[in-house]
Amino acid sequence: MKKNKILSVALAVILSMVFAGCAQDTPSGEQPAEFNFDKDITVVARDSASGTRGAFHEIMKIIVKESDTETDKLVVGALEFDGTDKVITAVEGDKYGIGYISLGSVSDRIKAVAVNSAEPTVENVRDGSYSVSRPFLLVTKGTENDLVKDFLKFTESAQGQAVANEMKFIGAVDSTEEYTSSGMSGTIKVAGSTSVTPLMEKLQEGYRELNPDVTFEMQSNGSSQGIKAALDGSYDIGMSSRELKEEEASELNRRVLAIDGIAVIVNKENPKSDLASEDITNIYTGKITKWSEVK
Amino acid sequence: MQNTKKSNFDEKIMQAIFFLSALISVLAVIAICLFLFMRGIPAIAEIGFMDFIFNEKWGPTNKPASYGILSMIAGSIYVTAGAIVIGVPVGLMCAIFLAEFCPDNVYKIVKPAVNLLAGIPSIIYGFFGMEAIVPFVRENLGGNGYGIMSASIILGIMILPTIISISESSIRAVPKSYGEGSYGLGATKEETVFNVIVPAAKSGVLTSIILGVGRAAGETMAVVMVAGNAVMPLDKIELLKPIRTLTANIVTEMSYASGLHESALISTGVVLFVFIIILNISLSLIKSKAQRN
Repeated sequence: MKKNKILSVALAVILSMVFAGCAQDTPSGEQPAEFNFDKDITVVARDSASGTRGAFHEIMKIIVKESDTETDKLVVGALEFDGTDKVITAVEGDKYGIGYISLGSVSDRIKAVAVNSAEPTVENVRDGSYSVSRPFLLVTKGTENDLVKDFLKFTESAQGQAVANEMKFIGAVDSTEEYTSSGMSGTIKVAGSTSVTPLMEKLQEGYRELNPDVTFEMQSNGSSQGIKAALDGSYDIGMSSRELKEEEASELNRRVLAIDGIAVIVNKENPKSDLASEDITNIYTGKITKWSEVK
Repeated sequence: MQNTKKSNFDEKIMQAIFFLSALISVLAVIAICLFLFMRGIPAIAEIGFMDFIFNEKWGPTNKPASYGILSMIAGSIYVTAGAIVIGVPVGLMCAIFLAEFCPDNVYKIVKPAVNLLAGIPSIIYGFFGMEAIVPFVRENLGGNGYGIMSASIILGIMILPTIISISESSIRAVPKSYGEGSYGLGATKEETVFNVIVPAAKSGVLTSIILGVGRAAGETMAVVMVAGNAVMPLDKIELLKPIRTLTANIVTEMSYASGLHESALISTGVVLFVFIIILNISLSLIKSKAQRN
């Protein structure tokens, strides 16, 4: 008797779970629900220490600068994730989502939209018509020694720029000059941006194939740290994924290694494929909360 | 003669080894405390205690920067409370069922399932939350799915094994004579379980709940993936809106932070640590009270 009772309870639980599962499946399975423009936009951002966030919020004027204050006006309630992959997953799963990621990370899981009618392509970033991009910088202080000079020559050569293009960054120098091995030896110390690090590692790999006697010391600790290290001379080269501040620029040699586009991404079911940068700013600062308000 | 001396010597050495092993966990706790407080306290002093604890503005990249964690403290409390509301009734009822009503063949399935639940890594819970619970909440309850509700559900599931196994063993530990006395007075099985046995296991049940609270408050990976991590002003916090917990604050920003920002994150860890210490103290208070009874 008691056993029957327990069994029927268990059966009821399992059945209700199955039904709940079905009920959840039907709306998306049978009739693709329409895009409801009156739903709230789900704004997805990166964490406040991210370089991508710093660059994007600055370009889109989400950071408001006054004489000596700087305030990030990101809308209250925006989701913040500590990685590109989580931003992609969030936008992929939410029909009304919007996010931003490095151009190199765009995949067919989400849709990268045009900004001010310029498609986010390598060509458009290179000719400047796609405005949402940031430079990857290499900075040094004073006169570089021969070894550092040689490595910098490699990064700006045809081989070095090919490495950048292979990684979906945009080589900043249209160089056709082939680099030839100098046969030097010694150690080069590099520190800075975590976003530039993967590219830097590939460049070092390529350089060491030609100059096996050279070793590298790498520290991946963020743009500001890299610039600081170059300034105080503890490292030969600093990597930065943001523009230099005035006081930094006056003391450092600045080289653009590559350009990284930042793609604005929406869900694949979102009919919008072109956003005005003004609207993007308004979405991220909370002045626009619904897709119907977007032109 | 020689032999006894040697065995004495061996004994001393072994004793020292065992003592050292015992010492290592104590040393680890001391080292972590020292690290946290030495790195965290100066930052709290620099930011200002009131500005750190009772300020809801977190803007480490602003100029001037603000480092208030009140919103995160509230977030941790809300999410933990949500986990308790979801996890405790389910866990407790499961424990009572396992200890008192469960037929052997069902027990053979349920008990290993509970144990397995305890062994699942938190990142897996996070994936499950992001791919299953967040869409479920979004479609059935509203909002965008990321928030207190989803985090509470995930944490409620994560604390189940703690609550179930400790409650179950404390219910089983109630002396048989209690139940027999109750039956002798003519009580039914249900009356006996709910009026005699479960009340007698009270301190064990409380212990399980406090350990569950500790687990929920300290959980990081799973929460980061489903809570949305938005810093909300206190008056805008809602069940279906995103929230940032203390743990999420540390883990989302630690990788890039530097200077005072980094120290402020370590100070966030100090606050969390104090939380856990308070929980542990209340745990030992409950235990000592139970022993006195």
